Amino acid sequence: MEQKLRDEAKALLEQGKVDYIIGFEPGSLKFTTTPLITSNPDDIDRLVINPFIVNNLSKFLIEIEGRVGIVAKGCDSRSIVSLIQDNKVNRDKVIILGVPCPGMISLNKVELLAGKSRDEIDDITRDGGKIVITVDGKKKDFPVTEVLYDNCLGCELPTPQEYDVLLGEDSALVTDRAASRKKIEELEAMSPEQRWNFWKEEFSRCIRCYACRNVCPACFCERCFVEEAEPRWISPVPQWQDNLLFQTVRNIHVAGRCTDCGGCERVCPANIPLRALTREMYDIVDDLFHYQAGTDKDASPLLTAYELVETEDTFR
Amino acid sequence: MANKKIDKKNISKLLKKWSQEFSVFVPSLENNEAIMAEWDGKDISFLDWYRNTVKPPKANFLPLMEKLFSFKKRKGNYQIEVPPADKSKQLIFGIRPCDARALTILDMTFTDAYEDPYYLARRRNTVLVGMTCTDPYDSCFCTSLEGSPSDAANVDLMLTDIGDSFLMEAVTDKGKKLIASASELKDATSADESKATEVKDAAASKITRKIDARDIDKKLLASFDDKDYWEKVAAKCISCGICTFLCPTCYCFDINDEMVKNQGARFRNWDSCAFPVYTKMPMENPREEKWHRIRQKVCHKYEFYPMNFGVIACTGCGRCIRLCPVNWDITQALNSLPVKV
Repeated sequence: MEQKLRDEAKALLEQGKVDYIIGFEPGSLKFTTTPLITSNPDDIDRLVINPFIVNNLSKFLIEIEGRVGIVAKGCDSRSIVSLIQDNKVNRDKVIILGVPCPGMISLNKVELLAGKSRDEIDDITRDGGKIVITVDGKKKDFPVTEVLYDNCLGCELPTPQEYDVLLGEDSALVTDRAASRKKIEELEAMSPEQRWNFWKEEFSRCIRCYACRNVCPACFCERCFVEEAEPRWISPVPQWQDNLLFQTVRNIHVAGRCTDCGGCERVCPANIPLRALTREMYDIVDDLFHYQAGTDKDASPLLTAYELVETEDTFR
Repeated sequence: MANKKIDKKNISKLLKKWSQEFSVFVPSLENNEAIMAEWDGKDISFLDWYRNTVKPPKANFLPLMEKLFSFKKRKGNYQIEVPPADKSKQLIFGIRPCDARALTILDMTFTDAYEDPYYLARRRNTVLVGMTCTDPYDSCFCTSLEGSPSDAANVDLMLTDIGDSFLMEAVTDKGKKLIASASELKDATSADESKATEVKDAAASKITRKIDARDIDKKLLASFDDKDYWEKVAAKCISCGICTFLCPTCYCFDINDEMVKNQGARFRNWDSCAFPVYTKMPMENPREEKWHRIRQKVCHKYEFYPMNFGVIACTGCGRCIRLCPVNWDITQALNSLPVKV
């Protein structure tokens, strides 16, 4: 798959079909990758596909001008489609190099299982439905579902539906929907008061770094409401109430655009379980409107569409 | 004074003793994330897992947000109430040499043109008990920046893990006072001393990430206008605040008034040069582009700070590398500067 990607990407650049390739190269730390954004064919041999290509690269399509060849997993390709629906990306200027995704490995989960930090682990390999973690020369295996990100466990479309080149066939993703919604179920079992206290505590740790917003391809506003001064919607002082309000409004803004790529939760330096909000919204959108984000590039975006049969007067 | 040592099993007793005088902060796990938190009086399991915290101890001096004063509006005038200076004494147990050095670097800013009473009160009332970093991360590069995993220059008392006990080196008078009255200590033997030296050397040799910091300010000055270079290195940055907020030497803050009806308070909270809004002005933004902001961050640490204070404002703690959502790596940027001097 990796070789096919490199061949395709190199050809695209050399034949002048794209100005940039956006993919992944090995990161500077063990078991990490980093986005590679390049117009130089000589860089292409650095492209990799592995279980650590976690970033949703579609975010970069918003700011890069020109024609782009982009590596996209299932959720990423849906984000691209969603951006096309919102006129933020021109389909004709993007060549989607689709990766049938077997699920991404959460290093946090691996660290918890191994009892060691990322850089103390010798090797992490996937062998079908198993994951083999080597520490101090000793191998231990676990079911792959124990180390995949929660959002991957709840993924419905791991293989890109919208693509120009599909780099492989079978995604081999093993899902576990219950595990993917575990946090949500826990929260639903709480009383409203307990739930309120839970989020109060979580958002008391928020440092307002905006990493959740900035990795999110559904957050494409040129001016985010949090930075508006007139009127001021929330305080720049990161008090928990304002942090919660920020995340709540963000969640409403990304309704129907969020593809549950899990980026927000993954990057949060305070480990706030943000997916409990975004995935719940994703499921509500599906239940109420039978709408799955980024699955139909010709559909109107959920939040901008209205129909005469709408029951709320506001929307008529 | 000869160095002392303490059995690990007596650490609790020592912390308890110190707790009578200080609020004792120790590495703690909060939602599986390491932070410095007030000791619960019992748990010393951090001795097994602690490497470094996610949030740097700078937060104990320059908190994420703090109230500077409150105010009331009365008949067109404002009545201002400044909170009394923070007199609480704190002891930070286990601070790493990189983070302690960062505080010395921050002191330069907070005592420069203006003496910041909030920051300095906390600095004066704090005792730093450092701990040799026997298990540095692969993102650490302190040895390239005049630091080392056992550098005791910026703490009051330094501990080094020598197996069943810690070697204790009192660095300052504050440090000497800390151990003078402690009964749990023994005199360190020469075998303990040589074991500590061994541990320190081993720790330093674990740090393999390097930058060439010589003339780095000059190289940056010469590379300053190379737009192509900065655009290329900045391309994958997502302009979030992680690297700056969690940097032990980044100190930028914003001032905001919170007002309801006729009263409110003035707050100071962390701000970041990574945000476009940081430099946004009514008519223009001098750092509109991502590469402007990346360049600012790197140059502030490695060019402007040396220019102003004669020291690089980076201690090689590696947080910005290991916590970055896209693995943006400052050492790669510094090592690939287009202009060599």
